[in-house]
Amino acid sequence: MSDLRRADARYDGQSGPIFGLALRVAFLTLITLGIYRFWGKTRIRRYVWSSAELDGDRFEYTGTGLEKFLGFLLAVVFLAIYLGLVQIVLTFLGLGLLTEPETEAQMVAQALAFNLTFLSVVPFILFAIYRARRYKLARTRWRGIRFGMEKGAWGYVWRAIGHYALTILTLGVLLPRQSFKLEEYMTNRMWFGDTRFVQGGKWTALYGAMTHLFVGLGLMILAGAAGVALQSEVLGAALGGLGYIWFLYGFLHYRVQSFAYLTSHKRLGDEIAMDARPQTGTILLTYIVGGIVIGVAGAIFAGLLVRVGAMGMGGAMNGAPDASTYAAIALVAIGYVALILGVGAAATALITQPVIAHYVNTFSVLNVDAVQAIHQRAADSGADAEGFADALDIGGAI
Amino acid sequence: MQGQGTFFDGRTAGRHQVQVGLSPDRQALVIAGDSLDAPLRWPLADLRALSDHGGEKDLVLTRHMDTDDESPRDPARLVLRDPALIDWILRTRPSLHKSDLRAGAKRRILRNAALALGALALMLLVILPGLADIMARVIPRDTEERFGRAVTAQMERFLGADERGALVCDHAQGRAALDKMVARLTDGRDLGYDLRVQVFDHPMLNAFAAPGGYVVLVRGLIDKAQGPDAVAAVLAHEIAHVVNRDATRNALRAAGSAGILSLILGDVAGGAVLVAVADQVLNSAYSRKAERTADAYALTMLNDAGISSAGFGAFFDTLAEQEAGLSLPEYLSTHPITAERAQAARDNAAAQGATTPVLTDAEWQALRRICG
Repeated sequence: MSDLRRADARYDGQSGPIFGLALRVAFLTLITLGIYRFWGKTRIRRYVWSSAELDGDRFEYTGTGLEKFLGFLLAVVFLAIYLGLVQIVLTFLGLGLLTEPETEAQMVAQALAFNLTFLSVVPFILFAIYRARRYKLARTRWRGIRFGMEKGAWGYVWRAIGHYALTILTLGVLLPRQSFKLEEYMTNRMWFGDTRFVQGGKWTALYGAMTHLFVGLGLMILAGAAGVALQSEVLGAALGGLGYIWFLYGFLHYRVQSFAYLTSHKRLGDEIAMDARPQTGTILLTYIVGGIVIGVAGAIFAGLLVRVGAMGMGGAMNGAPDASTYAAIALVAIGYVALILGVGAAATALITQPVIAHYVNTFSVLNVDAVQAIHQRAADSGADAEGFADALDIGGAI
Repeated sequence: MQGQGTFFDGRTAGRHQVQVGLSPDRQALVIAGDSLDAPLRWPLADLRALSDHGGEKDLVLTRHMDTDDESPRDPARLVLRDPALIDWILRTRPSLHKSDLRAGAKRRILRNAALALGALALMLLVILPGLADIMARVIPRDTEERFGRAVTAQMERFLGADERGALVCDHAQGRAALDKMVARLTDGRDLGYDLRVQVFDHPMLNAFAAPGGYVVLVRGLIDKAQGPDAVAAVLAHEIAHVVNRDATRNALRAAGSAGILSLILGDVAGGAVLVAVADQVLNSAYSRKAERTADAYALTMLNDAGISSAGFGAFFDTLAEQEAGLSLPEYLSTHPITAERAQAARDNAAAQGATTPVLTDAEWQALRRICG
């Protein structure tokens, strides 16, 4: 086995180009009242995909803005009818519960009635999650060969609802089982060319990734106990705060490390294996540093705007507003819009892209030479091309 | 022109090292390599490059071709890294970044857009109002009353009440005057609801009807009204809303359309504002009709009770003055142009028979002091 060649993935996208691209896209999206977003998302994905390479060959994103727009329009047809009917019917039924809540039970019932509207879209959100991954894979190529995913969104919906229910009922104890089984369902339907991916490993191994969640939880319980036993609110609050922060870190750690485990235990066909070693600390640091840089730069820019605005207002106070006052007001308005667009683009360049870069740079493929035997697969129409995901506003930055 | 390149044939994941050169007739790129069965010929006019490409030093070429792909492109890719070759291609091939639409793309855009707009229009303008209408009719009376109580309480909180009933004015003589006014307006009329008319202690010039027979007059309205007839007219108008179940119908319709609007507009920057504005526009389209109907009903009530509608007209003039400074376009405001409504009230007054004031002077003064 030792002579099997290992190929490391590499990400070489730079902050400058993607910032420029994200800014242009955000501006065009604004002036087209949101319609350009389908093309904008496509362009950013093309840049990100093609900045990642494996064994010297770059990935390619082949999705189009037009198909996304068409998919969105179809999703709107469906969701408008569904959401409109569900909401009006639920409101009608919920009115029976809508009272000044006098008892605890009424309060719970009322809260539930309002959340039913949200619950009614959960199946479609899950449906959209599966469809979005299928679409992304269908539009990803490497060495000219398509990735792909089988149909199976509804199977995912029912399984996910079942797993979520189990996780909630067991107060999160079965979270690793949920993560594993759902990823397994998807992975076993994923293909590269004519070769299928297979999820290996076992769900209980994911408990290792939960360590920090347990530490955080333990600290919070300890804080409660210590606060009561020692009659010390300060100690209780300090320990509790620490536990809470630890718990949040635990969530990030779980997300990153469960991804690492699940990816490292995927195989492509019988011969090709994968290895992923992202570091939670690096990702956390990326968020913190990126957040600070964007925050400081944004604050400086906002400060400048305020000064320009104050100068304009000063002109207006000293008599009739003249041309320079209007110019100052216009400048502030433009600056404000630029600030919002700039912060978004900076987040893509300084947070989203570095995080992706880290995931790519810590990924390797074992026995990469075996891919030469892999053949092309048929094109996938892409179904709704993420139309549902877009309409339901899920899917994140990229 | 000659150079090296990497070629992927779009059939297997194998990599081909190839020689790239111009054909003798200078009309095509010739791609040749040991691992290729035969040299390939890509006409120059069909060459397309991948755009927004991350690798700054390479150029990835494909060609325009009618395939099953998402774009009309050959699945094969030619990766060039030779700067001189890349430079030559970029210089001589201006159509490299042309995006080729498949035949029928425009028709598909139009079809899907028409479907989406049609579905939205059907839902927002036909199905939801229709459903709301039916539901407002079949909703159980006590459910509607509970809903009305909740809405009234919500309004009271909105006006600044810390607890329920904090803003309710119940000075005994004022209350008696108000009850007399209600009794005179509704005498011999089956409204279908037990009316619950309240006055809230707040300077706002307003009145509203909540579901299930709840009517609220805000103190500012009584303060600004020139006489009891004007208050009676406004009260009649709100009672008309109660009879027509406008509040219930509106709440149901808005519940249905809110989700749809945020679905379409939620993604745009400032989407929440757009949703609010769109909802307002939609809402006003219905309420304008509802307001006219309620006005007509109110005038009938005033005529039957022998109360002059001149006060109603005067009240509209007061409203018009209030709105003069900061007037919303008609379609954005929930009330139709007030001058037009004032004229309707005055026309009615001119045709009315004998009328008597709805309250005596003493009663009117009592009503004005209902909040103490």
